[in-house]
Amino acid sequence: MKRKYHVVAIPIRIVVNTFGDHNPNGMMYVLKENEQKVKDLVKKNPFTPVDLVEPLVIRANAGDIVEIQFENKLPFHTGMHFYEAEYDVCNADGASVGYNKDSTVAPGDSIIYRIHALEEGNYFFADLGNPSSSKNGSNSNGLFGGLCVENRFSWWTDPVSGKPMNSGMYADVHHPLLPSHREYVWMFHDEMEINDVTGNRPINHITNQEEESFHGANYRYEPENRRAQLISEGVVCPNCVGEEVHHDSWVFGDPSAPILRGYVGDPARIRLFHGGQKETHVFHYHVHQWFEDPQDLSSTIVDAQAISPQSHYTIDPLYGLGSLQGSFGDIIIHCHLYPHFAAGMWGMNRIFDTLQDGSQCYPNGVPIKALQPLPDRAPPPKPTKQKPGFPNFIPGKVGNKAPRPPLGIVGGRDMTELERHAAIEKPRPGAVFTDPCPEETPVKEFNVSIIELPIIYNREGWHDPKGRIYVLDEDVEDVCSGKKEPEPLVIHASAHTCIKINFTNRLPHILDGDAFQLVTRTYETGFHIHFVKFDVLVCDGANVGWNYDSSVLPGETIRYSYYADVELKAWFFHDHLFPLSHQQHGVFGSGVVHPRFSEFLNPATGEEVDRGTQVTVNHPLIPNYRDFALFAQDFTLLFDKDGKPLNPPKFPGSQDDPGLFGVNYKNEPLQFRLGKECDPAYSFSSFTHGDPVTPILRAYAGDPIRIRLLQGAQEESHSFNVHGLRWLNERGNLSSRLDCQQHIGISESFTFETFIPRPGDYLWAFETEEDLWNGLWGLIRAYKEKVPDLIPLSDRPMPMKQSRPLPECTGKKPPPAKKATLLPAKGPIRTFDIVAFQVPITYNDFGDHDPYGIIFALQEDMEDILQGKKKAEPLVIRANVGDTVDVTLTSKLKFDLFPFKDGIYPYPEVKEQAFYPPSLRISLHPQLVDYDVQTSAGETVGFNGDQTVGPGEKRTYRWYVDSQLGACGLWDMADIRNHKSQGAFGAFIAEPRGTEYVDPYTLKPVRSGANVILRNPLLPDVREYVLLIHDGVRLLDQNDELIIDPIDGILLPPPDLDKEDLVDTYDQGSRGFNYRCERLINRYNKNPVLHKLFSSIVFGDPATPVFEAYTGDPVTIRLITPAERRRSHTFHLHGHRWLFDVKDMDSRVESFVGHNVAGGLRNLQLLGGAGAIGGYSGDFMYRAGNIRWDLEQGMWGIMRVHKEIQKYLPPINE
Amino acid sequence: MQKERLKMINERRHEAVTKHFKKNVNRRVFILTQAFPFMFIGKIKEVIEDIVVLDVETTSVAELEGKEWSVHIDSISVFYIETNIGPSIPELKG
Repeated sequence: MKRKYHVVAIPIRIVVNTFGDHNPNGMMYVLKENEQKVKDLVKKNPFTPVDLVEPLVIRANAGDIVEIQFENKLPFHTGMHFYEAEYDVCNADGASVGYNKDSTVAPGDSIIYRIHALEEGNYFFADLGNPSSSKNGSNSNGLFGGLCVENRFSWWTDPVSGKPMNSGMYADVHHPLLPSHREYVWMFHDEMEINDVTGNRPINHITNQEEESFHGANYRYEPENRRAQLISEGVVCPNCVGEEVHHDSWVFGDPSAPILRGYVGDPARIRLFHGGQKETHVFHYHVHQWFEDPQDLSSTIVDAQAISPQSHYTIDPLYGLGSLQGSFGDIIIHCHLYPHFAAGMWGMNRIFDTLQDGSQCYPNGVPIKALQPLPDRAPPPKPTKQKPGFPNFIPGKVGNKAPRPPLGIVGGRDMTELERHAAIEKPRPGAVFTDPCPEETPVKEFNVSIIELPIIYNREGWHDPKGRIYVLDEDVEDVCSGKKEPEPLVIHASAHTCIKINFTNRLPHILDGDAFQLVTRTYETGFHIHFVKFDVLVCDGANVGWNYDSSVLPGETIRYSYYADVELKAWFFHDHLFPLSHQQHGVFGSGVVHPRFSEFLNPATGEEVDRGTQVTVNHPLIPNYRDFALFAQDFTLLFDKDGKPLNPPKFPGSQDDPGLFGVNYKNEPLQFRLGKECDPAYSFSSFTHGDPVTPILRAYAGDPIRIRLLQGAQEESHSFNVHGLRWLNERGNLSSRLDCQQHIGISESFTFETFIPRPGDYLWAFETEEDLWNGLWGLIRAYKEKVPDLIPLSDRPMPMKQSRPLPECTGKKPPPAKKATLLPAKGPIRTFDIVAFQVPITYNDFGDHDPYGIIFALQEDMEDILQGKKKAEPLVIRANVGDTVDVTLTSKLKFDLFPFKDGIYPYPEVKEQAFYPPSLRISLHPQLVDYDVQTSAGETVGFNGDQTVGPGEKRTYRWYVDSQLGACGLWDMADIRNHKSQGAFGAFIAEPRGTEYVDPYTLKPVRSGANVILRNPLLPDVREYVLLIHDGVRLLDQNDELIIDPIDGILLPPPDLDKEDLVDTYDQGSRGFNYRCERLINRYNKNPVLHKLFSSIVFGDPATPVFEAYTGDPVTIRLITPAERRRSHTFHLHGHRWLFDVKDMDSRVESFVGHNVAGGLRNLQLLGGAGAIGGYSGDFMYRAGNIRWDLEQGMWGIMRVHKEIQKYLPPINE
Repeated sequence: MQKERLKMINERRHEAVTKHFKKNVNRRVFILTQAFPFMFIGKIKEVIEDIVVLDVETTSVAELEGKEWSVHIDSISVFYIETNIGPSIPELKG
């Protein structure tokens, strides 16, 4: 059916909380019918949030044609660009791209957008008329919204009135066949301009410095700073500090942040959007879990999910509101990145256990709005005096901190009369209002303490004098006395276990001050858990809303109880009271729920254990395995051996990326692994420098392993890569794609289940440049023969007796690796002679260039590239499944052609810059393909031999293409500081067996190239476009002046732009696709018309690849992110969609790929081919979703879809 | 022709498996199925046409244990019946 909306873009003052913080220059989309109403309300309430001021959410059903009359009342061209939808790109793109007709709208004008909502899902929309990322842009000021496309035949009503509704963030959605459900839209956004009531930037009342930038949801935020101010002013809770009561409604009343309301057991759906422009956030929703892909029952179950700008997910909490155990109360939803959380990026899901008809009040007298029960569910009981329902049975005192839970504290209070009426039949410590553990469940009890002690991170004496860690009570003495190395606590249990935790707070009352932090009274702490089932009111280890404060004071013990219902992988635990203050000191750990009937052994002694980051697991039915846990950390507040703070912030208490990094409380910085030779090529060699202090995950060749990947602290994205191993992206799904990389944000948890095919040292690394530089790497060591301190797996063949001594550190160059070609070839051999050399690379027609580019190329192309006959492009080579690939690499690097011979690379920087001279050696490391790590990993790691090549040297690597892998990255591992961001990367594509590759214009066979036609006797011809996303590039402009991107690329920079503090180290540098970037600032300087910046009519085509096809041509895009910074990028192609996992037919269909960061890979088969299912033609923009700072900086290009035959572009075979 | 042959193979397989289960009534069996709950350990109580009735000791989920389950022969992907020859099926508790 056709559905019509009249939408207006208006300027509006957005008040984001009851403290009067506001954006005076806000912008929003609003339905015409609400335009005047919202303007009037805002005028009357200049310092109070107005409900109608919210991101526009409209709804349609799958299959609908949605016709939007769009009217622009802003003073510049704007539009509405829709993700996920299909539409005529020439008329409804909401942009002016390539040679398309301009579909932005001039001030005062209007247009009709007609879009086709093919499937149920989240259709994000935003403006592209003004792509500035500054406060003069549109996106940062709120010009975005969501179209929720429901299942066919759905209708929706207002949850308060029960009446039909046309727009709104919250709706009850009904269907003739499916259950009704609550629908909540959660729209993260960041970097909005915020002023306080005085019209100035808010000041943090503790540091007296400017407050953190806006991080909120749904145009609201509730900062800790604001609430803590009320404490310091003596208005509320005089004995509180601030952070511990940040979410406490007893102290402050409810926040302005979103509160999603429902009844226990209600089916619910959160439509999660990222409407912001810069940061990758982690969405975390207490108590609940959901399928990562809601339509795919084989997909991974998660409870924290990273989301990058302009991407979206559907969150269908399993078992409905309150989860399996039927918990009720206030359930916090937040961005898990602590500085964002503290800045105000949170809200709640309020689950009532009694009917709310509008006649009740909260404890502070504020009326509870009515909430219609879902029509197909029995309404909850009406509140009575004896059973008033949540939150009115909790014995709290308004203006004071929430009370502690009954029964929980050892020696603590019993229940009140009202609590007794609300409690279950047999309440017990940790399970008072619901009991998650079924009767007769086996119980496992752990006694856990939290302690403070100094932690030494590496051999150079870098240390955290105020390390804070969880430890089992029985280990406290050994850890404090130095008998046991501190490591993150990992406890182990089988599925179907009732876990009881006796948690004792042994922390000092005070976290002392230093260069990083101000003195903080961290006097109470909790043990907040993910994944397991629990009673949120008493067992959350947190202090949320009208719940109890389930933390504990120093010297006290609190009892918690959880149920591990099924095999849940690794569940994360941490403090929820003072995490901003001390989680980065080490306050995190994990429980691993293994399959039922598992037995856990100490891998060295074979004794049974219940904790440890490395255990060996025996199981009677499935293969035994080694279990390894790794925790990434950032904001690690370290001092060197002389007590000098490392990377301190500008002022104590600043959240501006203080400190360094760690993994399991260790790091192994590369600056200390240069040795006498001063050659970075051997930085990872154990021959030259000994083993790193970071974890070495030990096993025998052939052993099955499970790597539990977590992030314990604190704000940033990390990219975990394993070289030489791979795993199914969805562990339980044999149709899943293979992966060897994973983006991770704090609190996320991943399990990689795989096995180690051959003996040798395998590198694991958090592989963005700054992480690796600062020591986030280690080894997986697979022994060939029996070693004394590692028990063999009992169901594997016994390893042979040791026949030769294990290799040792010699302090010298590593011996050369054995010849790879001695290993047998499998199938046809395909050979490539590849040369690494230096050549200037021109990034665009405006003269932006890298005069010191380092590239890989086929030997036969080198001369042409050097002479300028061929343009420098990233090397893309291909082979077919079944092939053996012999790659011979030659180095032609010349010392004189490196820009910084003194060994300090000045820009883009990394934290803790240090001497690291350019290596003349180089290597080529491949992702995903099968190879022997001792000969063909393309790197010199651990006790493997040297696989790098020096000037004039050659080395052949042998790779086996054993699966249809598609995109695989290639890059150098000899010098991560002086090679990769200069271009030393490429791509290898594994194609189906029998495929030939031809040039799309000449139809002649090719051996390399990013744009080819694939011809296969059994498959249709396919156009293949390879896009390499890369960043951290050092560019000079046409006058040979250094371009300080991203700052230099900002459009409409405000005069007060704080250039120095605006960017983090990992934002530094230019970025683009395939050694090209079309920086908008260049275009703007030539012709300053914002909405025309993507227009080829005005500027000609961009320098980035313009891929061409005919309508309906099958198209596969290979998306690879070889390099190298920690800021993740979203990829979006206008008007097209693809399966999120190309191999999985059950996979969700999307038009974006989120968090692309070093090592990221994806294969995108466009549904319907070029021009999508609707068969449209025109110029479709591919681009970054990060308005700040990718799009302006040139991360965009065009896929041109022709309707008519072009002379120069032969059509493909049908 | 091929279709008929295929039908015959399926019928014979079906018949053989049913017969085998009937022959082993009262013995312990280990079964893997493609669908939830994926695994059963228990005693074969009886076979009714092509349905195996099990006294289930262990499955992947504790809540489904200690009950009688009927499993269709065609949904069994893998099975092992404990006899006096070969390893015994583990007794799993917890």
